[in-house]
Amino acid sequence: MQPQLIRELIALLGPKAVLSQAEDLMLYEYDGSVELGSPECVVFPSNTREVAEIVRLANRYETPIVGRGAGTGLSGGAISRNGGIVIGFSRMNRILEVDAANLRAVVQPGVVNLDLSRAVEHLGLYYAPDPSSQRACTIGGNVSENSGGPHTLAYGVTSNHVTGMELVLPDGDIVRIGGKTIETPGYDLDGLLVGSEGTLALVTEITVRLTRKPEAVKTLLAVYDTLDDTTETVVDITVRAITPAACEMLDGFTLRAVEDYVHAGFPKDCAAVLLIELEGLTEAVEAQAAAITEVCQQHRAREVRVARDDRERELLWKGRKNAFGALGRLSPTYYVQDGVIPRTRLPETLRCIEEVSRKYDLRIGNIFHAGDGNLHPLILFDERDREQFKRVVAAGIEIMTFCVEVGGALTGEHGVGMEKNELMPLMFTPDDLALMERVRAAFNPVGLLNPGKLFPIGKACGEIRVRPMPVSATIPA
Amino acid sequence: MSIPAQACVTRLEEIVGGAYVLTHSAELGARHVDGTIPSAVVQPAEVAQIADILRFAAAETLAVIPCSGCTKLGIGAAPARYDIALDLSRMNRVLAYDPRDLTLGVEPGVRIEDLLRVLAEQHQFLPLTVPFADRATVGGIIAANSSSPLRHFYGGVRDFCLGMEFVTGEGAVSKAGGRVVKNVTGYDLHKVLIGSLGTLAVITRVNFRTFPLPPAQGTFVASFSDAESAFGFCRSVAQSVLTPQILEVADPAAADLLFSGAAPARITPQQWCVVITAAGQPAVVDRYARELGHIAGAANAAEFMPLSNAEQSSVLARVREFPRLVLEAVPAAAIFRLSVLPTAMTPLFAQLSEIAKRRNLVFAALTRASGIMYATFFAEEGREISASEIAAAAKEVFQLCAQPENNAQAMLEFCPADVKRAVGDVWGHARPDFALMKRVKNVFDPRNVLSPGRFAGGI
Repeated sequence: MQPQLIRELIALLGPKAVLSQAEDLMLYEYDGSVELGSPECVVFPSNTREVAEIVRLANRYETPIVGRGAGTGLSGGAISRNGGIVIGFSRMNRILEVDAANLRAVVQPGVVNLDLSRAVEHLGLYYAPDPSSQRACTIGGNVSENSGGPHTLAYGVTSNHVTGMELVLPDGDIVRIGGKTIETPGYDLDGLLVGSEGTLALVTEITVRLTRKPEAVKTLLAVYDTLDDTTETVVDITVRAITPAACEMLDGFTLRAVEDYVHAGFPKDCAAVLLIELEGLTEAVEAQAAAITEVCQQHRAREVRVARDDRERELLWKGRKNAFGALGRLSPTYYVQDGVIPRTRLPETLRCIEEVSRKYDLRIGNIFHAGDGNLHPLILFDERDREQFKRVVAAGIEIMTFCVEVGGALTGEHGVGMEKNELMPLMFTPDDLALMERVRAAFNPVGLLNPGKLFPIGKACGEIRVRPMPVSATIPA
Repeated sequence: MSIPAQACVTRLEEIVGGAYVLTHSAELGARHVDGTIPSAVVQPAEVAQIADILRFAAAETLAVIPCSGCTKLGIGAAPARYDIALDLSRMNRVLAYDPRDLTLGVEPGVRIEDLLRVLAEQHQFLPLTVPFADRATVGGIIAANSSSPLRHFYGGVRDFCLGMEFVTGEGAVSKAGGRVVKNVTGYDLHKVLIGSLGTLAVITRVNFRTFPLPPAQGTFVASFSDAESAFGFCRSVAQSVLTPQILEVADPAAADLLFSGAAPARITPQQWCVVITAAGQPAVVDRYARELGHIAGAANAAEFMPLSNAEQSSVLARVREFPRLVLEAVPAAAIFRLSVLPTAMTPLFAQLSEIAKRRNLVFAALTRASGIMYATFFAEEGREISASEIAAAAKEVFQLCAQPENNAQAMLEFCPADVKRAVGDVWGHARPDFALMKRVKNVFDPRNVLSPGRFAGGI
């Protein structure tokens, strides 16, 4: 990077807000994925004006920019592919307004997801999207990736909860889109921007919907001796049109790792469990609990346990939300998939994953948002073994191909990034992708923002770079 | 039109067959947009034909407006040009419906009433109980982003539309989103088509998630003597643990339009009426009845009454059809659709009433408590009023909404063509994001073939 650019960034932001030494930059070479890429400098603006100035400088020096929240993303969205500037939003972490009467909050992008819910808890409100990394991940990152979480089954993903944004465009212009109101006349630019993975604009302020906490919450744990019984239960819950707030599945292999790590009380000798949460009015929750228990029993659940109190409930969720970390203890590295299938195809999809596991001789743990068909098969491997890593990539592609073939999607909540960009043609035709690329060019004409992401760039998947050192993932995904 | 009309018709006939290009004046007149009639109506039956039509239109710089039920062609600014009405009514198939998975894929010409019937056979529905229900089609509902009273609980189209296939203004067949209930692969281009009034692409397939019909439903009407009591009641409901399906507020004039005559005799239209629908298990609906009654009492309701099943059907159908009822009663009415925050509803209503009063107009408003107000202005019975008078009121409405403390957005959704001309722009004051919208338009329709001039910012 040109030293003059670094000097100008320091003049703009102060020396403490600019990192350019190799040892500092190493922290920003990775995120929660298996990708790796090094920026040339990392800057920490404090306000929108500074972001706009950074963008203008980057334009002048023709240097790419990547926005970054907490770096918990799972598709390489916050990693720089080609050097350049990473803009860390950790200093822009203020909740600017809580408008409880209108169920809105205005936040800066660096606000941690769970911090917003905590800040409005005393008002009986919370922010509904709940990625498993919600203790660390930021709302700006959630907006970029259109993040989900277990409770999106009932409440929707980030896109359903954003009503307005302030953007810094790649030419440094500052624009507001949407607002606090719903259905602002005009094209739904919020809908376009959420999930655009930092390739259209940098988001510097977000207006989100807040949700009232439900009166009653009930968490059920259904324990099974076979995977088929577990998946058939999920199908049957969907077919009977019962909509729980969350319906998560963990297979036996994952459970044993989780139990050894978290001690949540999961049975270690079963094939799989379903973790089902019901929310709403007491009467509705009771009726749903009875109906779901009946479905579980019809499909030979060994046990259907109801969490007795908040402590037990939180422990079960701690187990679920730390499942990636638990599996990370078994292996130097893991590779998380994020495919989506029509919910009724769950049993055959799981059989496909078992087959892939055998074929490629890899250990795969299964942690699913089963209720909405969002799968997270987690392939364990040792990245020092290049031959094994090639098998991991091939296995991943085989699973994703199956998902798309049964009518599903490549990613349900983690994003495409630099992980699945070469797989995009599985789902989209050249015409589909050409139109999306033209939309990108309309916002980001010279590719200043997050280049090399989301769209195929013709690099073979086997060349995905791996981390130089073993990582035990402690931040759950 | 750059080519002779007959040459245009001949080419269209080559694409779709002679029987599906209509040029009778009655057919053309039925598809007029603000008084402008097309030169031809073309009725394609498949995506490839639409692509051919649009490529032809782009090459010849012809303006194309998609339509089907023709219930909402009056929405938006008057078109700058209009050569071909692209009638999608032959594309009316349900392409995929997996009731077990609660997902659905349909063509744009499916009438919503027919679709809801198909879903009801499987005890499912879409929360799209929208105006003009007997004629409105899926494509038009999406293009106009029609609002349903069920929005209160289920959200808008953007919240349950999973993906779309469409043809751009250049005739490129494309798609975005997907067919599964959760998906973040690629840009959500389908979201920008919602409410785009046919200015970006012609929608050829829409994928939705469907919803189970609740086992029981109950509707209640609470009546109040003033605006603050009625809106205050809604805010109290929002602060409770209750999450009704529908929560609509009709001022006395709107209640009169809705309930005088056809509606249950027990509703007194001289009052503010709040219509609330609860759904779920019978025990849940019973609980709503009890608690809503208490909240209404605390908000000084004059009356709180549960409706019988027959009354419920009639009341909900009339609430759903509110814009249509207004237009049937007063064809020259101006109907604004306002996006408004709950806390701004009472003061905004007062100021809108004040505008009407000053200009000797009748004002009636139906407000969706989640944040949409249908604000209507029309002349008293027997009084003639000029387009310029209505337009002057409209300009005041736009100014009022633009004030920061009101935090509201307005568009003039329905009004006579001469009022549109007098108002200038039915989309209200220019907003800072119009420039970005133009960029989006240029990507989807660089030759400005699709519905030119009808959209915000002159798009």
